[in-house]
Formats: sequence, C-alpha cells, structure tokens
Amino acid sequence: MVIEKDLPVPRATESGLDRDERERIATARRYRVGSFLVAVAIFVLWELLPRSGLVPEIILPPISSIAYALYTLVQTDFFLDHFLVTLNEIVWGFVIGTVIGLAVGIVLGVWGGAKKLFYPFVVAFQAVPKIVLAPLLISWFGYGQMSKVSMAVVISFFPVLINTMVGLENVPRDMVRLMQSLRASRRQIFTKVELPAAAPLMFAGVKTALTFAVIGAIVGEFVGAAEGLGFLLYTYNFQLRIDRVFSVIIILSLIGGILYFFVEWVDKKLIYWRQD
Amino acid sequence: MILQLRDISKTYRTRTPQGNVEALTSVDLEIQEGEVVSFVGPSGCGKSTLLNMVAGLLRPTTGHIVFDGEPMTEPSRRIGFMFQQPVLLPWRSVRKNVLLPSEVFGSKSDEMNQRAEEVLQLVGLGDFLGALPQHLSGGMQQRVALARVLVYEPRMLLMDEPFGALDEFTRETMNLELLRLTKPTGITVLFVTHNILEAVFLADRVVVMSPRPGRVAGIVDVPFGEERAIEIMRNPGFTDLVFRVRSLLGDTPGDDSMTSDLDSDRESVRW
Repeated sequence: MVIEKDLPVPRATESGLDRDERERIATARRYRVGSFLVAVAIFVLWELLPRSGLVPEIILPPISSIAYALYTLVQTDFFLDHFLVTLNEIVWGFVIGTVIGLAVGIVLGVWGGAKKLFYPFVVAFQAVPKIVLAPLLISWFGYGQMSKVSMAVVISFFPVLINTMVGLENVPRDMVRLMQSLRASRRQIFTKVELPAAAPLMFAGVKTALTFAVIGAIVGEFVGAAEGLGFLLYTYNFQLRIDRVFSVIIILSLIGGILYFFVEWVDKKLIYWRQD
Repeated sequence: MILQLRDISKTYRTRTPQGNVEALTSVDLEIQEGEVVSFVGPSGCGKSTLLNMVAGLLRPTTGHIVFDGEPMTEPSRRIGFMFQQPVLLPWRSVRKNVLLPSEVFGSKSDEMNQRAEEVLQLVGLGDFLGALPQHLSGGMQQRVALARVLVYEPRMLLMDEPFGALDEFTRETMNLELLRLTKPTGITVLFVTHNILEAVFLADRVVVMSPRPGRVAGIVDVPFGEERAIEIMRNPGFTDLVFRVRSLLGDTPGDDSMTSDLDSDRESVRW
C-alpha cells in the first residue's frame, strides 16, 4: 500500500492543540467577548434612558446614580447592622432548614412505614404557598429575627427533604444487595452505601434550600420587621428612594451569589466523584 | 459435596392476569467442592433466581439448600457474589472498593490492606490502586469486582452473568482470567450466563435450563481438564458439547413475553 506523502496531515501545533481544539477555544472566546458587549450595551441604555427623560428616574434611576447610592449606603453607620441581621437570618434559616430536611428526609427515605404514615402530610404542607405563613409566623414569634428565621426554615427545608428521600429511595439496588451478600448490618448499609449514594441528590437539595432561605428571610422582613435589608428595601421603596432600593437589591444578590458559590465549592469537594 | 439443592422451587406472586408465576420448579442438584458449574438458559428460565437463592438473598418457596452441611437461610460470608454490573462504589478508590468486605467484616487491618494490594496485582490492576472506578474501562471495573470477592477468600463464588455487559474480546480475556485466578484456589464457582460458548468453556458441568416453569432441562459434563486455552474451542469435542447444550435448549425456545421481567424483578430478603 502506498502512503500519500503529499496529503496535508493535521499536526499538533507548538501549544500541543489540534485544529478543532483551537477552534473551540476561539469560539468560546468570541462568545465571552460577545457577552461582555451585551453587558456594556445594557449599562449604556440603563444610563441613557433615564438621563434622556424617556424613562422617569423614579422608575429607573441611571446606573451611575445607583452606583453612587450603593457607595453611600455601605458607608452609613446603620448599613452593617441591617446587613448582619439579614445575613444572620439567612444563615440560621438555611442551616436549621437543611438539618430538618435531612433528618426528616432520612427517616422517610429509609423507613418505608414512616413514609406511608407521614408523606401525605408533607405533600399537603408543600401545597401551602409558604408566603401566606409569614403573618402567622410573625404573630407567633414576634417582630424580631426569630420569625424571619422560621420563615426561611419553613421555605427551605422542603427541597432538602424531598431530595434526601428520593436519593435514598433510588440507591442502586445491586449496591444494597452486594452489602447484603456480605451480611452487612443495617447501619453499615446506611453509612457505607445509602448515604454516599444519595449524597449528590441531597446536596442538590441543599443548594436549592440556600436560595429559598434568602427568599424566606426577606419575605419575612417585608411582612413585618424593624431591621434587616428587606426592611431597609421596603422603607426606601416607601420613601421613593429608588436608587437605594436598587442598591439593596444588589447587596442581596451579592449575598445570595456568594453563599451559593460557597455551597457549590463545598459540593465539589464533598461529591468529588460526581460526573458532569 | 459443598452444595446440595433439594426440590427447590420459587413462585412469584404477581398482579398480572396470569396470577402467580412459577419461576422455578423442582430443581435437584449436587455440586462438588472445587467444581465450576455454569447455568445456561434463555431469560425467564429462573437461573438468576436460583443463584440468588443459593446466595441467601432470596428464599425458595419450597425445598432446601444445604451449603457445606448447613441449611442456607441467609447470606454467608463464605459465599461471594458477583453481579452483571461491577457494582463498584463510585466514591471509593479501587483499593477501598476491594477493602469494603473487610470493613464490613470488621477485620480492617494492615494485613487486609496488603492482601487487597496483592489481589489487585493478581488481576492486573496494581497500577490503579488509587483510581476512581469511573476512570476505568468496563473490563477493568469487573476485575476490581472480582478482586473484591476474591480478597476474602470465599469457598464458593456465585456469578450472575458477570461478563454479559462486556464486549466479546474482553469477555474472552475475562474468562481466561477467571480460570487462572480461581482454579489454583480450589474455589467452587457457579456461573450464570446466556452465552453457550462461555458456559462450556468455563465449566466442568453445564446445567441447561428451560423456562416456564424454570427447570433443569439437562446437565452436560465437560470432560476437559483444568488447563484451558481459547484453542479448545477448535476441538471437535468442544463443538459437540456446544451442540448438545443447544439441542437441550432447542425444544424450549426463549419467550420474553411473559417472564422476561422475572430476573430483574426479584425481591430480596427483607431486613
């Protein structure tokens, strides 16, 4: 057989990448630049529409005003207090909600009898739009942080519960049978197989719980509070200081985002075998 | 004699119009120590059900199973079980997967650690001790599963179509590996397969089973010695045996319509 020597052969370049690889990287870069340009366009419109008078500043303040309002807000002496109050509510709501969700989910997932007995009530509870509970929780737990934490708990425990239960129910059957063939105890099967096998799904629930806890705390503050970022936002809105309203929204988004990335990071470390 | 099956039958209760399904009926079998016995038959013939009952994972409806002089009522640590899938724990490294049995037995020690490494060397995975299962090929994963069962030196090894999910070349290699690894230990092997060549190649005896109700259609002795290479498949005697198995299967063609889900839908022992 004759080898065609003149045929152009794709070669690895100096960087060690072939042509497809380089094209993929170039495409990815083009999209990144594109996204950046879209962001710039949005900011420019955001600045120009209010400035030109096409959109009243009371509806949409120019982005520069918002940036300035944010800058002055974080320098006020009351900001940090409100910030810490809300952060506190979110974190406690998230932690307690997650613990309850994990505990109940494990009981329902491992013990079929408990599921038969209690699951209908869990579903019924989930059918309640949690926000309607906010006034009730405030009359139960008062105007302070407790009612906000409980709101965050009520809204965030459910995704953890469901994912934990479903995760435990869907442990590959053969893994359990393998353990049975080794005469493992119930406890060994749980700790060595069921828990780690369900962990990826459980953690997905935990991530959702975090987002929900942020919502719970802020809704609680909206309904009745004397402190916290939700209270601050509500107050500024009432005062028509829309630039400050946007500033608080930005702060709240940052809290949510940073917490989410933290949990995501923990997830990657903990569920190191996950394949995407 | 290490294993005795007396008049074993298994009936599954179903909600289908057919009512109860007899998965297996009156199986009598005696298995000698050190024997390799393969079970071959179409799906629904109850071969997996039988294996699960020998493993103690499933209770027979009638009959007795006597293992090593004692009636089998629950899984035994002197019996190893291998599934069609490797069933490795994806969060454990290869080494830690192989150490799982000793952890369950509570015999975790340096000794076991060393033994695990030896067995992994033996199955050719000495360089992959720290790897996660997901980074191994299907054949390598099944080797880990084999190592995991060999590490605690059971007296009997039950294999439920262990190489059924592998490609033909890998399967052949694994067959040779299996003989190489188990023959010197004198371990008894019960091997379920639907591959006739594999069944004959590996076994001292082939138990041919037929479906509806699952039963033993016949037993074929394989008079080849312990030393087996792929070349014996060229032996006319080998071909004869394959055809004898085939003819035993022949009058009971596989029919998936009624019983195909039995093998996958077996219940196991409750806690």
